[in-house]
Parts: sequence; structure tokens; C-alpha cells
Amino acid sequence: MRYLSRRQLLAAAAAMPAAAQSGSLTVPGKAPLIVHNDFPEDLESLPEYLASWITPTDKFFVRQHLPRPKIDAGAFRVNVGGMVSTPASLSVDDLRKLPQLTLAATLECAGNGRGNFQPRIPGLQWNKGAIGNAQWRGPKLKDVLARAGASAQAKYVDFDGADVPVGKVPEFIRSIPMRKAMLETTILALEMNGQPLPDLHGFPLRLIVPGWDGASWVKWVNSIQVQAQSNPGFYMATAYKYPKVAPAPGGAVKPEDMDVLEGMAVKSFFATPSPETKVKMGSTVRFAGIGWGGENRIARVDVSTDGGATWRPAALGKEDMAFAWRTFSFEWKAARPGYTVVCCRASDAAGRTQPIDAAWNPSGYLNNSVERLGIVVEG
Amino acid sequence: MKRALVLLGFAAAAAAADPAMIERGKAEETRSCGGCHGVRITRTQRLSRGNWEKELDKMVRWGATIKDREAILEYLVATQGDDRPRPTPEISANGAR
Ligand code: HEC
Repeated sequence: MRYLSRRQLLAAAAAMPAAAQSGSLTVPGKAPLIVHNDFPEDLESLPEYLASWITPTDKFFVRQHLPRPKIDAGAFRVNVGGMVSTPASLSVDDLRKLPQLTLAATLECAGNGRGNFQPRIPGLQWNKGAIGNAQWRGPKLKDVLARAGASAQAKYVDFDGADVPVGKVPEFIRSIPMRKAMLETTILALEMNGQPLPDLHGFPLRLIVPGWDGASWVKWVNSIQVQAQSNPGFYMATAYKYPKVAPAPGGAVKPEDMDVLEGMAVKSFFATPSPETKVKMGSTVRFAGIGWGGENRIARVDVSTDGGATWRPAALGKEDMAFAWRTFSFEWKAARPGYTVVCCRASDAAGRTQPIDAAWNPSGYLNNSVERLGIVVEG
Repeated sequence: MKRALVLLGFAAAAAAADPAMIERGKAEETRSCGGCHGVRITRTQRLSRGNWEKELDKMVRWGATIKDREAILEYLVATQGDDRPRPTPEISANGAR
């Protein structure tokens, strides 16, 4: 047992990671984003990027598990096999010849908000910006499955991308059940916001599973396998699971007591103003944000300007549909001086409402706690 | 009694933060953690000792080769422990046209 001298303490401090710097990394095609990792890139949107209904592609968050593959669009093929009558190998041109659907849908990482759970949880320490809303366009998955003659007995469809694991890291393979695969709204996107998908977002082909966690939206899809069962690999059997019964915060949950994550939770947050904004007493403050309910449309968003004691409805944006978030705004006259806690709370058409505190879970998924934004009213 | 426990706790933390060990741990991180992903993913975490132990086990299962496990663990706990303040977010420069 010994105590450190002041000099030793200073030496220990010097060994700490360098203070985060601004602008040491530039990602081609991307506006300034919060960097969680550089290789492969994991990038979070700044809250103010999320005030508009469509998130521009350059401001859209990025999440990658494995190093990004280099893809030659001309040579690219997606193979459709497993429980099918005629295995198919389709080029980008073949996919373009199928009827195309354009669909607005919100993509959110299952772990968005993980960084705000206590006790802390390993994984990307997202604040609130691992989410965005875009227009996706491409053929319906059901048409692609029909091309290969998928068996009516099949229960799941597996998706694998062209990304390759390093070392003994498992393949990133995800399955979705047939009931979701066969919906008119489950598509294989070739385009994002009217342009071919950028590399970072899965060029040339990405699965769109509206209302479900981002992990299901497999990028660089080059293999589609029709199956009797969900994939037994790590990314279906172990990762992306949520406890059937909430453990005490920090507690362990046995694998058999977990379910595969599917639809996302109802949530809302403020895009602007930013936390701790100072406003003059008597001025009118405009709050803007989004509410979204996974597979359900948003029915209402309420705002409280007294820390949750009383609530009033926010004005909702005109774009009102399942799968895509809904914008809201709220104007407030700052009548009293002092620190004011402003909260927002969304409710969806299925009657779900946000909790004050989301249930802690071992992987830090579905954080939909009511947001508390501090505003300083100067007298 | 309470005071003795507090002193014991402090001594344990101080002993854990041996600067030479921390230096060795940092070098071990550079050597064994940068091959599959950037070290930013480790430096943005704030985890308990128990969670860092589990992360090291997971990375070894996935193919990491750690030579100096004691040092890397002490380094991670001392610099990226759950009692450390959250890092200031790093913002990338503008790469959009
Ligand atoms: C063989 C490849 C490999 C090596 C070597 C490796 N990692 Fe990882 N690590 C991964 C992969 C793959 C992920 C998951 C990446 C993702 O999902 O974004 C990961 C993720 C992580 C995470 C995020 C939490 C999680 O579990 O997803 C941490 C923290 C981490 N690694 C720490 C380390 C440390 C510390 C070392 C050095 C001892 C290390 N890694 C070495 C492959 C590796």
C-alpha cells in the first residue's frame, strides 16, 4: 500500500487520453458529426440537425460493426437462396427493373441514448443523435423473394452484407420473420434521399425494416437466405436482445430470459434550443423536436415547462404517418426568471407513452426516457 | 471504522493508479486493440472494473492477443473507469461538399 506523490499523480494524469479535439477527423461527404469511432466510422448527428422532417444525408448518423467493404457496382450481385425453388443472383440493374417504392422511414440505432443509462453499459456511448429520417427507394423485398420462389413453409429471412469480420469476430447476419419480410413496406433500398446510397449507408443495397431497430437494416446486402429458423449466429442469438422482465439497474439477465428486439419504442426529444441556453425574461422561446413511435404514427407530443408538473400539447408537423417521425414545435413565453426544466413526451397511435425513466437493460437499448432540457431565464 | 474504510479505499485506488503500470497498459492498448477498430471506441467508454474485465474477455474470444492483461486493465480502469468524467465529445471537421 502506498500513496502517490504529487509528481506521480501528474505523471498519471499525463498518461490519460488526450482531451477530445475538434476537427481532427474529416469524413468525406459528411458534415461535422460527433465521432464515437473513426475505424470503422460511428458518427452521431448533432441535435440541431434533427429539427427538419427529412435528415439530409450528409448530416445522417453512421453506425458500422465491421470495416466497410469496397464494392464494384458492375460486378455486384445479391444471391437469394435457402428455402427457394429457383436460387437467384440479381444485379443492380435487375433490382432496378422491379417495381420501385419510395418510403419515408426513421432509422434509429437500438442503442441510441445508451450513454445516458446509469450504471454505464459497454457499447457506443450515444447521446440522442443515433437517429434520422430519410426517403428510401427500391424494390419490395417480397418481389425479390417471389423471383426466387421462396417457400411458403419458411419462417425467417437472413441477410448478410459484403462486410467481412476480422479475426474470430462473428459475421454480421440478421434475420427478420416472414410476417415482416412480406409487408409491402419492407424494401431493399438502392437510394437514400433521391441519390444512390452512399458507401457509408450501404451502397449499393440496404434492407429497410420500417419501425424496427437499425441493426435489422443490413447494409451492403449481398446474401438473402430463406430459412425455417432465425439465424443461430452471435448477432441474432446473443446481441440485440431485450429482457422479458426488467432487472434492477446493473443486474444480469440470463440469455433465455431475453427476447429479440423488434419494433422501436415511442420517444421524443428537442432538436433546438440546446441545453442550458440563456434567454431573456419576457422573450418567446421556440422549441422544436421530433416524436416517433416505431411502427406506429405519433398521436401527440406534450411539453412541460415546469419540470413535468403540468403539460400542454405541442403543435405537430403536417407529415403524419407510420414509420416516419413527426416534427413538433412549442412556443413559450419565459415569464419567470431562473433555471427552468422543459420536458417533452410523445404518445403514439397505439396508446404507448414515454416513461419518465426507461428501463435499464444490460445492452442499453430503447432509451426513451422523457428528455429534460435546462433553460436559463435571465431576469 | 468508516474513516478506516475510506482510507483503505483511497489506498486501493492510489495503488491501482501506479503510473508505470498505466504507461505499460497504454502501450498494451496501442499494441493489442487497434487492429480491428480504432481506439476511440475504447476511449469513449466509462466502465466499471467488472465491465472492463468482461470486455477484455470478449475481445480475446474475438481474436485479440493481450500480453500484459494486468497493465491494460489497470490503465482502462484508471483512465476510462465509470468514475471518470465523460469525455468531451469530439466533432469531425466538415467533409461535405
Ligand atoms: C479481433 C478483432 C478485435 C480486436 C483485436 C479488439 N477488438 Fe474490440 N471490438 C471488435 C469488434 C468486432 C467490436 C464490435 C464493433 C461494433 O459492433 O461496432 C469491438 C468492440 C469493442 C468495444 C465496444 C463495446 C462492444 O463490446 O461492442 C470496446 C470497448 C472494445 N472493442 C475494446 C477493445 C479493447 C480494449 C481491445 C484490446 C484489448 C480490443 N477491443 C481489441 C473487435 C476487436
